[in-house]
Amino acid sequence: MDNFKRVRHTLAEILDLDEGEILPESYLVRELDAESIDLLEVALALSTEFGIEVRDDEIFLKNLRILIADAGENGVDPVVAIVENLPHIQEKRAGEMVADLADGPVLQVRDLVAYVGHCCQ
Amino acid sequence: MNRRVVITGSGFFSPLGNSAREVITAMEENRTAFERPGFDPDLVVAPVADFNLKTHTGRYKNARYLNRGAAFGVAAALRAVKAAGLSEGMLENAGLFVGAGPNLDLGHGVDDGLSALWILNFLPNTAASAIAALAGIHGESTTMSTACATTVQVVGEAFQKVRLGGLDIALAGGGDSRINPGAALAYKMAGALCTEPGDPSRVHRPFDRSRRGFVIGEGGGFVVLEALDHALKRGAPILAEVAGFGASMDGGNMTAPATSGRWMEKAVRKALTQAELLPADIDLVSAHGTGTQLNDGMEATLLARLFPGKSPRIMALKSWIGHLSTACGVVELAIGISLMARKFIPAVRNLEAPCASGLDFVRENRKIAFDTLLLQNFGFGGQNGALVVKKWTE
Repeated sequence: MDNFKRVRHTLAEILDLDEGEILPESYLVRELDAESIDLLEVALALSTEFGIEVRDDEIFLKNLRILIADAGENGVDPVVAIVENLPHIQEKRAGEMVADLADGPVLQVRDLVAYVGHCCQ
Repeated sequence: MNRRVVITGSGFFSPLGNSAREVITAMEENRTAFERPGFDPDLVVAPVADFNLKTHTGRYKNARYLNRGAAFGVAAALRAVKAAGLSEGMLENAGLFVGAGPNLDLGHGVDDGLSALWILNFLPNTAASAIAALAGIHGESTTMSTACATTVQVVGEAFQKVRLGGLDIALAGGGDSRINPGAALAYKMAGALCTEPGDPSRVHRPFDRSRRGFVIGEGGGFVVLEALDHALKRGAPILAEVAGFGASMDGGNMTAPATSGRWMEKAVRKALTQAELLPADIDLVSAHGTGTQLNDGMEATLLARLFPGKSPRIMALKSWIGHLSTACGVVELAIGISLMARKFIPAVRNLEAPCASGLDFVRENRKIAFDTLLLQNFGFGGQNGALVVKKWTE
């Protein structure tokens, strides 16, 4: 099973959703209504499923806004700052996040897939 | 000024069925759900069949945090709210009184893979949190745990709050399941369980001289208590009136009841006094009737002293549904008011040689009306609770 399917299965179990409702582009908080306690469960479940150490702040982009603010204060391109600090995020996706930030939490299912893929390398 | 308090909604899950019709049909057919569990063939248990929380909640991701007993409570609360004709927004100021026991299903959530917040399966107020979120309750809430007296006390405390004007509506109840190896071991070691071989439907004999202990049941129930004027104003269905409540402590042995029943009697007399009724006004007693030597001996002594000369009818619902632990009080209440509405009193099952004379234990199912019900429960720790319920009349 590919990583997306495994992540989707985990999310469906924890969020009590049908797998068909979960797409790579689904926003975890904005669309799938994930709450903080759900994210605790997701982190634990993914660490078990993939045999990896999941760092909550990285997989759930918890410090993203601070990262971008710091980059702005230091005259650093925020996209560069994201890629440097969150190595599982590609440059194109980082650019989308910066553009999308005003509409709420940017975390999408594909970001979790990228994280577990990066950890499994 | 004290207000009259009525029950305007009820919901329950029991081993005998989940509605008045199911339970009474089973009683008429002399059918129980007693069986021997796979984890210990010495024991007899009474499980609830085909229970699925999400049938009642719909999609519900927090279901993972509810142990089986808590799930019964949550589902029962939602059914009681619906039965009372209450909809979203009407419970903002309602109170929520929940009973919970220790979750002794120690393997659950550990053997099956830990969830990050598995602690919630063991915190007593997780059911209250779930009910409040699902029913939109934002009033006060208390979770109580007083062993087998828990939910009779939960209903009693909610009743007092409504009676004194602190609340117009209160939900009261809880759920419990001890049908698991951890709980069974605990009660077996305490010597409280029936371990007799033979037909599982015959081994539980409350108030019989040859009684040998209780049968572990499971389930949950909730009632909606409402100030009479509030209920009338909104045209709510009125199932019965709660007239009095009393509680007491033995202040003695941690597990064995005081044999004289002296302190249990104190709880019962408080309930009668508050209801402004004399013992002679009671038509039917729903006895705690666990089927243990100690409880039933004490309870028979207490009833004989309370009702000298003329005994009211006495039923023992645990002989039908098993012992629902902390949930026994509210489920016995919910079934009791169903029996009141349908003019039906079930026999004390398997009672052949009563342990006391002069007490009117119901020996055969009777189609007969009763207007006043005394419900009593006594728990480990010396916790005693009694409730007086009346048929509602204007």
